[in-house]
Order: sequence, then C-alpha cells, then structure tokens
Amino acid sequence: MEATIEVSGLRKKFGPTLALDGMSFTVQPGQVTGFVGPNGAGKSTTMRVILGLDAADDGTALVGGQPYPSLRHPLSHVGALLDAAALQPSRSARNHLLWLAHSQGLTARRVDAVIEQAGLQTVARRKAGGYSLGMRQRLGIAAAMLGDPPVLMMDEPFNGMDPEGIVWMRGFLRSLAGQGRAVLVSSHLMSELQDTADHLVVVGRGRAIADTSVRELLAAASRDRITVRTSARSEAMTVLAHAGATVAATDRDTLTVSGLPPERVVALLGESAVTFSEMTPHRASLEEAYMELTRDEVEFRAQPAAEPVEEATS
Amino acid sequence: MTTQATMPHPPAPQSGRDGFAQLVRAEWTKLRTVRGWVIGLVVTALVMAGLGLLTAVGGSSSCQSSGGGPARSGRACGPTLTVGPGGEPVTDSFYFVRQPLTGNGSLTVRVTSLTGRIPPANGNPPLNPNVSPDTRPGLVSWAKSGLILKESTRPGSAYAAIMVTADHGVRLQGNYTSDTAGQPGAVSAASPRWLRLTRSGDMITGYDSVDGTHWTQVGTVQLAGLSPTVQAGLFTASPAYQSISSNFGGGTSGSILPSQATAVFDHVSRSGRWPARTWSGDYIDAAGGSGVGGYHQAGGRFSVTGSGDIAPVIAGSDAGGPILTLSNLLVGTFAGLIGVLVIAAMFITAEYRRGLIRTTLAANPRRGRVLAAKALVIGSVTFVVGLIAATAAVTLGAQIARHKAYVFPATWTTELRMVVGTAALLAVAAVLALALGAVLRRSVAAVTIVVVAIVLPYILSVASVLPVGVLDWLLRITPAAAFAIQQAAPQYPQVTALYSPGTGYFPLAPWAGFAVLCAWAALASGLAVVLIRRRDA
Amino acid sequence: MSALKGRGTGLTQERGTSDEGRRCAEAGRGRWAGLRRGKETLHAEWTKLRTVTGPAWLLIATVAATVAISAAASAAVRCPSGIACPVDTAKLSLTGIQFGQAVVAILAVLVISGEYSTGMIRTTLTAMPHRVTVLGAKAAILSGLVLAAGGLAVLGSVLTGRFILPGHGFTAARGFPPLSLADGPVLRAAAGSVLYLALIALLSLGIATAVREPAVAIGIVLSLLYLAPIIAPLLNQHWERHVEQIAPTTAGLTIQATSGLRSLAISPWGGLGVLAAWAAAALLAGGLALRLRDA
Repeated sequence: MEATIEVSGLRKKFGPTLALDGMSFTVQPGQVTGFVGPNGAGKSTTMRVILGLDAADDGTALVGGQPYPSLRHPLSHVGALLDAAALQPSRSARNHLLWLAHSQGLTARRVDAVIEQAGLQTVARRKAGGYSLGMRQRLGIAAAMLGDPPVLMMDEPFNGMDPEGIVWMRGFLRSLAGQGRAVLVSSHLMSELQDTADHLVVVGRGRAIADTSVRELLAAASRDRITVRTSARSEAMTVLAHAGATVAATDRDTLTVSGLPPERVVALLGESAVTFSEMTPHRASLEEAYMELTRDEVEFRAQPAAEPVEEATS
Repeated sequence: MTTQATMPHPPAPQSGRDGFAQLVRAEWTKLRTVRGWVIGLVVTALVMAGLGLLTAVGGSSSCQSSGGGPARSGRACGPTLTVGPGGEPVTDSFYFVRQPLTGNGSLTVRVTSLTGRIPPANGNPPLNPNVSPDTRPGLVSWAKSGLILKESTRPGSAYAAIMVTADHGVRLQGNYTSDTAGQPGAVSAASPRWLRLTRSGDMITGYDSVDGTHWTQVGTVQLAGLSPTVQAGLFTASPAYQSISSNFGGGTSGSILPSQATAVFDHVSRSGRWPARTWSGDYIDAAGGSGVGGYHQAGGRFSVTGSGDIAPVIAGSDAGGPILTLSNLLVGTFAGLIGVLVIAAMFITAEYRRGLIRTTLAANPRRGRVLAAKALVIGSVTFVVGLIAATAAVTLGAQIARHKAYVFPATWTTELRMVVGTAALLAVAAVLALALGAVLRRSVAAVTIVVVAIVLPYILSVASVLPVGVLDWLLRITPAAAFAIQQAAPQYPQVTALYSPGTGYFPLAPWAGFAVLCAWAALASGLAVVLIRRRDA
Repeated sequence: MSALKGRGTGLTQERGTSDEGRRCAEAGRGRWAGLRRGKETLHAEWTKLRTVTGPAWLLIATVAATVAISAAASAAVRCPSGIACPVDTAKLSLTGIQFGQAVVAILAVLVISGEYSTGMIRTTLTAMPHRVTVLGAKAAILSGLVLAAGGLAVLGSVLTGRFILPGHGFTAARGFPPLSLADGPVLRAAAGSVLYLALIALLSLGIATAVREPAVAIGIVLSLLYLAPIIAPLLNQHWERHVEQIAPTTAGLTIQATSGLRSLAISPWGGLGVLAAWAAAALLAGGLALRLRDA
C-alpha cells in the first residue's frame, strides 16, 4: 500500500461558514509535511474529514488510496493524535489502549509494547483522568503507534509541551519520516516546524494557498533582500528610497532593503557618505515566509463580519 | 490536572454584598448565554402548560352532549352534581321525616339506638352493584342520625343538624362542610342521647344531653338568609361501605357498596309554630330516590331507616360525576420538573466537564458563595418559568375544562397558593438538583436521583397496590411531599374516603409538605458547600 | 516528556511483524470481513465497558434496588382475613422494576454519552469507522448485561415475594398459590420483566445516541418512563386507554399482569411489543444520527 494522504477538492460548510473551500494537497511518504495556517483556517476540519469523523460536502480524502471508512483495521493504516484529552478519565491508560487494540484485532502484547516504548509503564495502570498534559500526549502517541501505521497525522502535537518535549517531538517526527512513513503535522506556529518539516502545506480560508518544499519557500521569501546595519538609519533610508528601493526599518539600527542589487546599495551609501557596519543578503525565517503568505488571510480575519469557524481542537 | 495541589482559600478582598451581587450577575450571564438552556426553559414552560391544557381537554369524562355551559350533566355524564350553599359539590341523600317550622322554634328528641346493615365482609364486588348482596349487621363509621333543620327538601339546600354517629359521638354539622364534636361515645338503650336544635333567626344552636335535663351547647350554625319557613325533623343517613379501600391504596379504589342505618327516637317535643299536624317521610336524593329508607311511627316512638350521606363530595371520588380539580391542571408540573432539573444539574456539571469550574473558582475563591449565587440564579429563573406555566395552566385550563366538566371550586387564596407553590416547588427542586450536581459532579446521576426521589413515590401512590399507610409515609419523608402544595380540595374528617395523591390528597398540609422538599434541598446544599470547599476543583 | 527522551524510534520496532499480521488480516476481506469486524468491535466495546467501574456498580445497583423495593412492597401489603384482596401477587412482587428501570436507564445513557462528553467518541470512531456496527456492539453488550442483571433482579424479587407473601395472608387457600416460575402467567411476568429492562436499556441507548448531551438524554428517557403513568389516570377513559396503549412503560409493564387481563389496555405480549417498537425506533434514530452526523 502506498503510504500517502491525498486530499482533493474538499468543501465543507458549518451553517453559514465555509470551513473548507476546495482543500487539496498530497502527503508523500518519507517526509514530514507541515500543515500550517492561522487558527480557523480549516486544519482540524481537514484532518477530521480524512479520518471520516466529519463528512465533506464535496471532494475526496484518501488514505493509501482508499477512503478511511472502508479501511479494515484503520489504526494499522493511519495513526492519529487529534485531541489528547479525548478519553474517559476513569479508565487507566493501559485499558484505554487495550480496547483500542481489541478493536483492531491486536492483543495485549502490543499494548504492553507501546506502553513500554512510550515510557508509560509506571503510570499505565493509573486512571488517565489524573494525567498531566504531557502524559496524555504520550498516551495519545502510544495510541497512534498502536497499529504501527505507515501514515501518521498529528494535530498540534507541540501544544502544551515543554521545550525538552518539543525537541524530542521534532526528533521523533523526523525518525518516523526516516522510516519511510508519511507524517502530517498541523501547527498554527510556523516556528515549531522549523528544522522539522520537509514539505509545507500552508492553508488559509479553507484551502491550500501553498504546497511547496520548505527550501523553495525560504528561497522565495528571501529573494533579493538585503539587511543593512547602520547608525545613520534615517539618512540611509532617504538615500535608498530616492534610488527606488523599498526600505523597511526592522530594528533601531537595521534596515531591510529590496528592489536594488547589493552592489548598487553599497555604491549609493558610499556616494552619500552614509556609514554602515554590516551588509548581508537576507535569510528569511520560516515564520517570515509564512507571514508573507498568509498576510491576506490574517487581514481578512481581522474583519469581524467574516469570522471564520472556530476549530474544535479542545 | 486534578492532581494539582489544593487551591488555598484566601480571604475575599471585595466587600460582601457588592461581591455577591457581582457573582449573581456573572452566573445569570452564564445561564442566559447558553442558547440550549434558554430554549430548554421555554420548552419546559410550554410542555408544562400544554399538559395542563391536555388534561383540561381530555380529562374526566367528556360531556359533549350537554352543549357548552357548566356541565350540570344529563345521564350520559353520570349522576347530577348537587351544589351546596358554598358552591362546592355535595352529597345530599338521606331519609327525612319532617314538618314545616315557621319562625323561631326548637325540636328535642331522645335517641336510644343506632343500628345498621353493611355488605358481607368477604363479598367480592357484586356483579350488579344495584342488587344488594346479603347484608350483615353493622355500621359504617360515619352512619348518622338525629335532628335536621333544612331550608327546603331541595338537595343542596342549607341545613343544620345535630346527630349521633356510629364511631364519632354527637356531632353538630351544617351546610355540608362544618362539623363540631359533642358528647363522645356510642348510643344505646342503656346510654341514650338527647339532642336539641333551636332556631333563632339565622342562628341554629345544637345541644346535647345524656339525661334530658342537663344540656350542653355543642355549637351554633349560621344559615344566612334562611327562609321564615323551613323543614325540620328526624333524619338518618349511612355513607357507602368501602370494603378494602383503606388497605390497598392507589389505583384500586376497592368496592363501594351501599349500607343502611336505623335509629330509634322517642320523647319528640317541639316548640314554636309547627303548622302541619303530622310527620311525612321522604327520601331526599338528587338522583331521584335510589337510596333505601323509610320510617315507622308507633306512639311517640320513631324508627327511621336511611342510607346516603349529607356531606361534601370528595374530589376524585366517583360520587359526583365529572369532577376536575385545579391540581389536575397542574399535572404538567412533572414534565416541567424534569426539564428544570436537567437544566439545573447541567448548570453546575457543565462547569466540571469543561474545566470551567477552575475559571469560576479562580475568579471567586469563596466557593460557598459561588454555589449560593448559582442556586439563587437557577432558583429565581425556574420560579419565574414555573409561575408563568402554572398560571397559564390553571387559568386557561380551568376555562377550557369548565365547558366539559365540573371544576372543583377553590378560593382565590387556594388558587394563588397552588400556582405560587408550584413555581416554588420547581425552584427548590432545581436548587436540589444543582446541589446534587455539585456533590456528584455527574449530571445524569443528579437528574435521575432527584426525578426518582420526587416522581417515583407519587407514581407508586397513584398506581400501585401498596397500602395507604406506607404511601402516606413515602409522601411525608421523600421530596415528593412537596406536591401537597398542589392540593386543591380540602380534606374532610367527617367523610370517609380514599384520600390519596391519585385523588388529589396528600398526607401533609400544603406548606408542611413543601418544607420537606426545602429540608432536602438544604441538606444537599449544605453537603455541596462542604464538598466544594474541601475538594480540589 | 523527559521520559521519552532518547527513545527515538522505539515505538516502531515491531513494524515488520505487525505488518505481516495486517496482511494476513486483510486477506480475509470479503464475506467474513463484516463478521470479523463485528467480533472485534464487540471485543473492543466489551473491554471498554469492563475497564471502568461505573457499569458494574450500576448493574449491582439495579439488582439490589429492584430486589429491595420489591421485597419492601411485598412486605408492606397484608391481606387481613375476612376481606377480599384484589392483588396481583406476581405484579406486586415485581414492583422494584419501577425503580430498577431508572438505574438501567442511567447505565444505558452513560454507555454512549460518556463518550460524547469526554470527546472519546472521536477516538472510538477513528478506530472503528463503521459507526452502525459500533452502536450495534454497544446495544448487544448492554442488553446482554442488563438481561443478566435483570434476571438476577427478577429472580430475587419473585423469591422474596414467594417467601414473604404467604405470611401476609396471601395463602393458597385464599386463591394465592405461592409464586412459582413453573406457573405460566408468573413465568411470563418474570421473563417479561427481564426483557422489559433490556428494552428500556435499548430505548435509552437509542435516545442518548441521538441526543448526545447526557443530562438532556436522561431527562427525555425519564419523561418517557414516568410521565405517562402520571398523566393517563387524569384523562377520560377513552384517552387514558390510548395513552396506556402507546406509552412505553404503561404498555410494557402489562407484561407483569397475571390476573385481570381483560381489563388491561393492551395484552401483555402486545404491550411488550409496543415497548420493543419504541426501542427499535429509538435505536434507528440513534443509528441514523450517528451515521449522518459529524462526530
């Protein structure tokens, strides 16, 4: 079976609000695909449609080439971590995993294996209601790994994690991709995916507005921009703007300049006797690239009349 | 997250009254901003009023043939309803040996025996109730015989009577509802009773004596607007024999069979103007003389036999045809109760489920007051909802019902007590559900416990074979006692009847029954306050 | 998360073996797949139910409450010598069912709305996307458990009735033979009461599935259970009869009658049939809602 998620043309309305508006993308095996967009852009809804929890009004979502509800043992195809708190508090972690295993025709041996691997042995027989958020997250990951699936979907897995946990999670996701699995990770913070995702699906207003590799995205965002560090900021801005450049002050003594090649900038500043201490080609952060892409969406969101649907992540 | 350390309870910084008002305001905002709850309350009110109207339309036996107007009823609707001077339905059925009396005067008599016949003990209800089965000697408890002074022979007319009874000594009764005790003890040849009835204008005075010389005034009865000429004389009545109704409550009302009594009188003496020379005997009965009775006069000795009763009709008894009490119109209270309890329980448990309680308690560390504010809000809201629904059910329902059946009259104070009491019942039950919800933190358990505690005793008392004594205790100690607040018709000790919730009677007085529910609510609230203070949020 | 540090890919070590297992399982796709899926779903739901303590306590409560109330009812009634006692002793000894049904309703509602209120329903439906099978498995396990508990409850009730009633004047000489399951009508009342409880459970499960919100679900269930017996007696005979014929409890409890069958609004098995129709309709509504609605 091909380890992929293929989503094409998903549309879904919740009452008057359009939650998904032609969402299409593909998740390839062997890489971590970041699924990013502002809150309410349709990430969770898409994941729920993929898992057959919500029905789309139109479009298809296939896992390994099949619609999810037709999968025989779905947890052996897709492991999902949607909401770590979604369990009955009076049941122990082991028993929670046990019923999940039984639903897939798996035995208690597999349950004990994932408990050990997730490091939950000491608490597995305690009621899950007393778990901390981190422990619940681990339990959720154990549940997702129960069927040893080739495809994994995680909705905001970094939420509520401490810095150590975030580092671990990044490594874990990378290793899953390294084994040839398809990994889809949603987040509303691009920074969380820096150095983790190979591929990005950026969504806004219910559809994918970019479906690109991280490298390409960064390159596009960094294109012909120069950072200039100078103590005479306002003079430099005047000079460069007169020459037709777009200048933005990014700090007390730094400027970001675009629209002019670096040689021309050096020459112009030299001619006007504006001193500068440093000049480097700009390297955009993923965050910046993302902000650029979703600026329209964010501005749109600020309009109160078109409030997007709230994502049901909690 | 529930393993967090206990939150310390710092003293509240804000001033008392002001802080509490804010709390109440916050809880009110919480309640009104959940659309489902608002809809639920509206639906609850509609169902509650609607069921009352349904009872008005489909309640009792319908008398479509009588074509509008108060159902005085024809045959199709059962026996004609007799209405007493006070407007209440009455039974007025007895054997009357009488003469007219004009102006003031008095009548004195000695009673030497009161005997009777009752249906056989082991008799199953006879196939044909009109055919008297073999009877045996005996008296029903309220068999009565004595002197009566009555406006006319029309059933339902005003009267005053002094009488001996089988088990309740001498009584002075008047206008169907009043009843005063005289000499105790049963009458016999060895221990006769002297009775005297005196008219002075509108005032009738009754006396009794054991020897005919030493008289005791039992009491007086005021008969306003009494005609100058009235009918006065001897009477005997014997209410129906109810074989098993006091053993098995609820739905099985048991067999009600006629009984009869015979009293022997002598030393009849009159004063005043008695224009007729001789006595005449009649069976007084609205239904047209179906009862048994007669008299025998030998010299100064009279023997008067009669059946029936002179008494108010008990709501729910089948004696008077289609009778509806106002409490029937409030049957929707049960549905309203369930709706209100669901919302009240959710009002607190929803906070636990979503963890909102932590926000609430962090904002207001004095937890007992949070609970008090919640109770105040849910109690007031359900009171208003209940008041609207109960008012609609009683006023509209009574209007509809009057076209189809006889609606038991109630004074406006009774009506007000029923409507306000029903609203208060809902409010206090809601507080009980809220408190239990706080204790259990589970809405399903809280709702079920309160519903079962309130509704099940009522159902068992309406539709089961449990003895009346057991049911009475259930309705004294469970929260269901509060339904006493809906009792529309008064209970008369001088009438033997099945006073059960099924017929609209409760063992406790209205406000006493309500107090039982309040006690339960207070108990649960106290427990809730203790627990919410002690437990981690 | 510190405990997970350094474990890296530990979670995936068994990949090879489990992959094989999956292949084998998938070979069985086809005719038997549905059956096997049903079995696995049943197994999962059974594990779910037995790994929390609530259901067990509620089942114990059902038995205890039913027997206790039945015994109390039997003990409260006396038939003094010399008067006729129009008492259906079988029905009397089963009075506790009136209470037991409320406990059964709680259990049934919690079986499904416990998942909705915690959000676990999404985990369930992710693991078992065939939703109607999930509801079917829940219904099967629930009715099995309620039948077992109901059997104990009814047996206990009839036994206490058999033990207590003859001492209270209900003797064979007066036309009240000791309650015995060998007696046809008594057996019908007893077995019927067990079925009655199971049907109440299914009715509640269906409603709770359709409504989701636990408090609202139990409110609707309790209204269905308890309103009709209160309202019916206040209506005229024509309406009363109709209400008693169609309401789930008044119709269903006619199964407990062993005497005076002619005066019943509906025949015993017919009455239980009405309740069964209610349960089927509720399950159908619940199944449709579960299937058509977003989880």
